[in-house]
Amino acid sequence: MSAGPLPVSAGPGLMGSLKKYLRIFRVSLVERLAYRADFLLGTVLRFLPMVTSVLLWSAVYRGSGRDTIEGYTCREVIAYLLLVHVSRMFSSMPGLAAGIARDIRDGTVKRYLVQPLDLQAHLLAYRAAHKFAYILTSALPYAGLFFFMSSYFDWPAEPWIWAAWLTSLLLGFLMGFLMEFALGLLGFWFLEISSFLYLINTVSFFLSGHLMPLDLFGERMAMVLKELPFQYLAYFPASVILGRETPETVIKGLLVELGWCLAFFIAGRVALRMGLKRFSAFGG
Amino acid sequence: MVNEREHPARRRLASYLRLLGAFGRFSLNRELAFRGNFLMKVLLEVVWLGILLLFFHTIFRNTSRIEGWNEYQYLFFLGCYYALEGLIETLFLENCIEFGELVRTGNLDFFLLKPIDEQFLLSFRHIDWSTAPKVFIGGALMGVSLWELGEPIGLLKAFCFVVTLGSGIAMAYSFLLILASTAIWMVRNQSLMELWWLFSSLMRYPRDIYEEPWAVLIQKVFTFLLPALLVVSVPAEAMVRVLEPGIIVWTILAGMMMLVISRWVFRKSIRFYRSASS
Repeated sequence: MSAGPLPVSAGPGLMGSLKKYLRIFRVSLVERLAYRADFLLGTVLRFLPMVTSVLLWSAVYRGSGRDTIEGYTCREVIAYLLLVHVSRMFSSMPGLAAGIARDIRDGTVKRYLVQPLDLQAHLLAYRAAHKFAYILTSALPYAGLFFFMSSYFDWPAEPWIWAAWLTSLLLGFLMGFLMEFALGLLGFWFLEISSFLYLINTVSFFLSGHLMPLDLFGERMAMVLKELPFQYLAYFPASVILGRETPETVIKGLLVELGWCLAFFIAGRVALRMGLKRFSAFGG
Repeated sequence: MVNEREHPARRRLASYLRLLGAFGRFSLNRELAFRGNFLMKVLLEVVWLGILLLFFHTIFRNTSRIEGWNEYQYLFFLGCYYALEGLIETLFLENCIEFGELVRTGNLDFFLLKPIDEQFLLSFRHIDWSTAPKVFIGGALMGVSLWELGEPIGLLKAFCFVVTLGSGIAMAYSFLLILASTAIWMVRNQSLMELWWLFSSLMRYPRDIYEEPWAVLIQKVFTFLLPALLVVSVPAEAMVRVLEPGIIVWTILAGMMMLVISRWVFRKSIRFYRSASS
């Protein structure tokens, strides 16, 4: 074939495949920036819950007359609640599972049967771009916020803690993605799962420690909650950078998180294979 | 035969009420066609209530007061918030979310052509019955806390509560409508549900927590400019704490003003609307 170059010549092999997904990354990035006014409004609004929770917890500690609650000082709780937003910035995947379920229902998913694209890899590249744009554009307001609230933070000096934090955030992104992906594939078996997904999201808001540090629920309950994968979406990274974890618990935590990633990855691959087998699309 | 002609306003009102009834019936029919989904949504609300109560319980295990609100006063506040949230979700939230979608797809055209007030049509079209139980659960929470507090409820208190709650609902609706209307100017890519959830965090806690020095400005802005802090706080205060005539009058005024402003913003946005079709 010498008649002109193909527009996206995703050649064989790893490089070609990488190029293909890099291109998807670029297109998604441009798409994302088209909605900047709305994006700005969202960013401004996103600060409101932080402000209210800082105020609420200050009031709680003042009312209690105590310095620590379950080992947390007021400053630590507030720092935690701000840091949890950084965790969620990486791990949250709004609409991913619901989008997959919708594509399955209306048949759009069939294009992955014809095009040389893998559903999971495509969505991963797409989400990575959106996260990248999101983190890039929110970095400045967040930096401002952390600067403004700097009296609440004691940033750790040890580089290993920073490295561990970054690792836990990136793994949090990966786990959040793989988990939502696997959940979305339930759409192959059930027609309508949006309410179920919403339920999972609501429960995860609490189980992940987004609401408050898991330790505050009391020792026994915290122990149970820390066995679940949800804590890696919010609690664990925040706990790491707060310096509340020892090197041993950090390594153990990261390994377990990696294990969950692997488990959700396998679950997603198996479900995708099984789902596509029973999938039948209508229309042309 | 004369009175029919003499009261076109009353006839209009009657026809709007009839329409509202029809919307309600139709939505209920549609909802009951997917009973599993309906039950799931109700379950979701119960779970959310559980989380709220757990949060509340955890806090009050460690303190007896939050800025002067004791446990049952705060529970009353929580019930009030939950009921108001339920009412907004039942009547308006789904409609406002769909408004953004109608703008994006250009299907708003069909709604503008109808011989009826656009704001009415777009605000009440769907009634989300699955969140209606929240209103009763919130009411029950308020009832329990009043029972536990054991204070007599005077007529004046009850009156102020009802009136300020009405204003609170009017304000919450207005904020939601304004937020939905901005979809016309900014192409919306985020869920209005999330934006609303973020914004309504201002209503979720008593306004007394804003009395820290650095938060005074925020308190002023959201009391006088965008009066979101009044929505739940003022009715709850009137019922279980003190009656402050000044703030009650301001809440009533603000409720009416917000209704007017939101209608103005809505109409303005509709005028700005250009259909998406070719």
